[in-house]
Amino acid sequence: MKKRSFFILLLFIICFSSFADSPKSVVSGMVKDKEGKPIEFVSVSADQSQQSTMTNEKGEYALTLSSGKHRLRFYHLNFVKSEQVVLLSNGEREQVDVVLKDNTNTLSEVVVRGKSEKENIETKGFAVHVIDMQKAALQSIQTNELLDRTAGVRVRQNGGLGAATNYNLNGMSGHSVRIFVDGIPASTYGASFSLNSIPPSLIERIEIYKGVIPAYLSDDALGGAINVILKKGMRNTLTASVLYGSFNTQQANFDALFRDKKTGFTVKASGFYNYSDNDYEVWGKFVRNILPNGRYDYVRAKRFNDAYKSIGGRMELGFTGVKWADRFYIGYNGSDAYNEIQHGAYMSIPYKGRHTDAQAHVFSLNYRKTNVVVNGLEFTLNGMHSRRKEVVTDTVKWNYNWFGEISRGLDGNPILRPSGAQQGAPTLNHINRNITTVRAGVIYDIQRNHKIILNHILYNVNRTQQDFMRSAVERDFIGTRDLRKNITSLAYEMKAVEGKLTTTLFGKYYQQDIAKMDPVLKAVEGQTVRVEETLNNRKTATGYGLAASYSVLPKLLLLTSAERAVRMPSESEVFGSPGENIVENTGLRAEVSDNLNVGLKAGPFSAGKHQLDAAVSVFLRDTKDKIVQRINPRLNDAVQTDPFENLGKTKSQGFELELNYTYDRNLNVALNMSRFNSVFNIQYDSNGREYDYYNKQLPNEPFFTVNGMVKYALYNLVQKRSTLNVYYNCGFVESFQTTWLALDDFKVPRQFIQDMGLNYVFPSKRFVVGFDVKNILDKQAYDNFAVQKPGRAFYLKLNYIINNF
Amino acid sequence: MKKNFLSVLMFGFFMATAIVFTSCDKDDDPVSGPTDPDPDRWITVAGALMGTSPGDGNGGTMVYAVSKENAKDSTYSIKVYDDGFPVKSNRTARLQSSEDGKTLFNIAYTGDNGGEFSRYKVNGGNNFVQEDVTVNIAQYASTSPRWAKLFDGDKTGIAVNVANIAANNASDATQPFAYYRGTATVLALDLQEVLIRGYKQYQIPLTTEEELLGHCIFRLDAPVLNKAANKLIIGTWMQKRNPATGTTESSFTRLGTKSVVVDYPSLENPKVITSTVGHGDCSGYRSFNSFTADDGNIYQATQRETSGGSRILKINQSNEYDNAYVFSLDAALGVSNVYVDCWRYAGNGKAYVLYSHDNAASDYVAYLDLSAKTAVKVAGIAYDEDLDFGQYQGVLVSGDEVYIAVTPVGKDGNIYILNSKTGAVTKGAKLVNKAGNHYIGIF
Repeated sequence: MKKRSFFILLLFIICFSSFADSPKSVVSGMVKDKEGKPIEFVSVSADQSQQSTMTNEKGEYALTLSSGKHRLRFYHLNFVKSEQVVLLSNGEREQVDVVLKDNTNTLSEVVVRGKSEKENIETKGFAVHVIDMQKAALQSIQTNELLDRTAGVRVRQNGGLGAATNYNLNGMSGHSVRIFVDGIPASTYGASFSLNSIPPSLIERIEIYKGVIPAYLSDDALGGAINVILKKGMRNTLTASVLYGSFNTQQANFDALFRDKKTGFTVKASGFYNYSDNDYEVWGKFVRNILPNGRYDYVRAKRFNDAYKSIGGRMELGFTGVKWADRFYIGYNGSDAYNEIQHGAYMSIPYKGRHTDAQAHVFSLNYRKTNVVVNGLEFTLNGMHSRRKEVVTDTVKWNYNWFGEISRGLDGNPILRPSGAQQGAPTLNHINRNITTVRAGVIYDIQRNHKIILNHILYNVNRTQQDFMRSAVERDFIGTRDLRKNITSLAYEMKAVEGKLTTTLFGKYYQQDIAKMDPVLKAVEGQTVRVEETLNNRKTATGYGLAASYSVLPKLLLLTSAERAVRMPSESEVFGSPGENIVENTGLRAEVSDNLNVGLKAGPFSAGKHQLDAAVSVFLRDTKDKIVQRINPRLNDAVQTDPFENLGKTKSQGFELELNYTYDRNLNVALNMSRFNSVFNIQYDSNGREYDYYNKQLPNEPFFTVNGMVKYALYNLVQKRSTLNVYYNCGFVESFQTTWLALDDFKVPRQFIQDMGLNYVFPSKRFVVGFDVKNILDKQAYDNFAVQKPGRAFYLKLNYIINNF
Repeated sequence: MKKNFLSVLMFGFFMATAIVFTSCDKDDDPVSGPTDPDPDRWITVAGALMGTSPGDGNGGTMVYAVSKENAKDSTYSIKVYDDGFPVKSNRTARLQSSEDGKTLFNIAYTGDNGGEFSRYKVNGGNNFVQEDVTVNIAQYASTSPRWAKLFDGDKTGIAVNVANIAANNASDATQPFAYYRGTATVLALDLQEVLIRGYKQYQIPLTTEEELLGHCIFRLDAPVLNKAANKLIIGTWMQKRNPATGTTESSFTRLGTKSVVVDYPSLENPKVITSTVGHGDCSGYRSFNSFTADDGNIYQATQRETSGGSRILKINQSNEYDNAYVFSLDAALGVSNVYVDCWRYAGNGKAYVLYSHDNAASDYVAYLDLSAKTAVKVAGIAYDEDLDFGQYQGVLVSGDEVYIAVTPVGKDGNIYILNSKTGAVTKGAKLVNKAGNHYIGIF
């Protein structure tokens, strides 16, 4: 502990001492095209993005820099980028005007731009991965599949398209991983606008932060965060695609942006539609029909209650690049999802008729302005109001077999499900949530190399539910739960040692309020009346951390980040669950985890047309006060069961490795590997006896994964200026136990799944046709124990892209 | 593998020494007695692994079989967690054994194979061979079934379930409230043929007045066959909901203890009988809770009494509660709020009870005389503050001998052999434990 505070102090000294810096000079100028017309929105950056700005509608820019030599970079999507070196002397103004050449290959330029953004984020010190979606969007691939191919990320899905998903980042999963859309908690949108439904072509990039999360992504993410950045273009574009494939899978989407150059009026619209029957075949020891006498009949069957449909649209109106705002939008996002559920945690018992409907209407306001009030001050505001509805339907009372037929008993009569309906008691549960999310941020560039970021997020959920399978009386006595989170974060970013060292220090303050209302009957003046009993519970927690990167050599970057991360207890953990009779524990504390990442990025190293880059990192997650439920068999289950308590301790440590090789413009080979040891971390029981599980791998952790990718591009093969891309992907997951007992029967087998695809880019660059084969060898694939994923499948996708209409 | 080989070797060594010692003992030790009807019976010891917190037993179950000689040898150590055989069950397995100890029956509790009944051939040590055929009762009785073996020569197992407790007017608010009821399932399992022999599903009404107050049967458990072998008596776990709010009540005036009587083997005609002596539940927990004694009556323990602690109730040969029989364990043991975790009839009107009580420093074992209505705490057992019989499943009766595994959570313990005729206590083999784990029975 002492060591750490010393380290932090040292960092402060370093950054404040560098305040007393050299005097400033200004470089300004105009950017024009060949015909001498000014170009708006050219990104102008100095010294590898340390300082950057954009040209205004007159093509003008200005940057304040220290005296000395600087490398200026000018780029715009539609032009060839240009670099200029400028020498500034004390306090002087220097003018640099630039003419940019038209770019003939717009599509590949998009790729270049995306990559630099990716680089920018990945070199700040965080253990972050940025998935650039532009290329991937052309293939028949789902967002979740892309995530799953990333080092250190394991996406575990309970079936095909739309099935429930769990994300594992370096051995942390479940509640520990938070998902964001544009920096806003994804729960604002709910299931209908999620990683399951948002098509890759609407996404610009996905940032995956492991263990240490930057201040602007404010939520109690204990193990990591996945931030989906939707497309933010500034030029007129239209992209559209349709897909058709196995299991009657149909997907369509479009994304359009129109901007009036004179007024800055901007309209963005996008829409998506996903459908799949998911009627893929399953077989093996978990797929069996139970005969009337209880014996098994192992069968090969198609899933029959697993259809998924989601549809959504998003519209934003506003102004961009105007005096009073860089960006101002008001928007609406509507989405709807229907999801049939074929089985519970294991596929051994098939369900019929169980499904969920989710719907969300989200209204948003988005504002961003740089240089507000004073130069170097940026202000952003995101406000959202969401009305989310969810209906869980489960009313079919009979048992079904894998052929979708009613199971019959010895007497020939249908057999009732043992708990009344497919998964539990019959339910028609309507859950409504009103969610308000407000995020405000201020970034202030105090001086060159010093930046302060202040961020606050308010997240408020009011939840009501009505189960229409309960009597009117019972429904009247179902309580409500309101949750409010206020998270304030402050970060200080600085660059030192000639830009070689980048450091971010941050602190986060979490405050969570849960209000519980339970109606009860009370005698008031001799009459029994319904009284609403309310109870509030406030919890606070503090977290802090730092991220630093140091450029040891020009092509060798050392990255390190650490955070004391927290996860606030959920409403059901604090207040228990009346449905399951779990009693409350209002004294529950937040889960705490000390997370550390250390990494090395090397490259790119070039030798002729060969280029190689590599990254390696190690990590540690030391989690305390884990919330678990203690079991006491003497409690009366008919009345109450045990509360949740802060009992657990776990530790996850491991490493990741990434290699990326390219040859010219043709070949790209990428390989990544991740291995972790997520262990039980309580050493002694109350008698001082060491636990057998101590330092042993926890069950149900896919601890070793390898992903490989090969892409080969053939130019001008069929038509001149056309491109044919051929892809091969493979994923390996080592077998893992799902229970403490080391029984083969409870193991998830080793997986090696291979996919192939190709796409053809027509010479106009407007049409792209993609064809994919997933799981070429039709292997039994499992993410979760006893839940088979789709076998071999074929998909065809057509993309249409117009820029600058 | 090395470990296994070693344990076999050790096992063999101890077997040899034990045989030498016991053969010497036999002449002058009346406790182990020459009357043992089954000296070659395997003694299978079961231990539950912790899942996430100590003593939860959710990490699965391991078993290990030793000879009677070894089980009785206090110098012999059994390490079920190192040397044992893992039973295929996601959480604590629900085990029972054949009367000769040569077969172990298991119904997997939850998981992909929840509700799956399987038989293991017991060959000693960790050599348990699962038989080919399995049968799954999950469709009828859920993946977490409650079941018991009848004392009918290993022929039958009975599984029971109550599902979907709902108000009569749940879907039709125009109807006045009359009752909360669930659908009960009673299923007979042929343990020899490994088949479902029959099942019945029905609602089981209480009296109109009781139901109007919101009382209902929450669970069924611990079925027992009567002397005439024509009725099953099934224990109940009661719940009360408030008809005005639909919520479960945590404290309420309990009704007299109720059992459900159904015809056997037809499983038809469910009928509720009510005691006026006991007011607790009679469902037990993970083990037997009612026994047909040599006198032809059924004796049943109660749990969750609101006052006065557990009782032993008597059901006569007309399958009705004998309310003249009053046996309060509080009174008999002189402590308050006795709670029967598990008990076992041992023959000749004698029984052993594993219990806790208010302000107890440990869980205890008591020796009961059902006809004299007396209970005595068994001395000579190493009681401990971490001793918790809450999940205890298996007390083995073999002739006059009663075998109990006594291990506090995370501490070593022993097998104890109690003589039901003489009341004598013998400390048997050492049970080597691991942190967070406990032994849950002998089969």
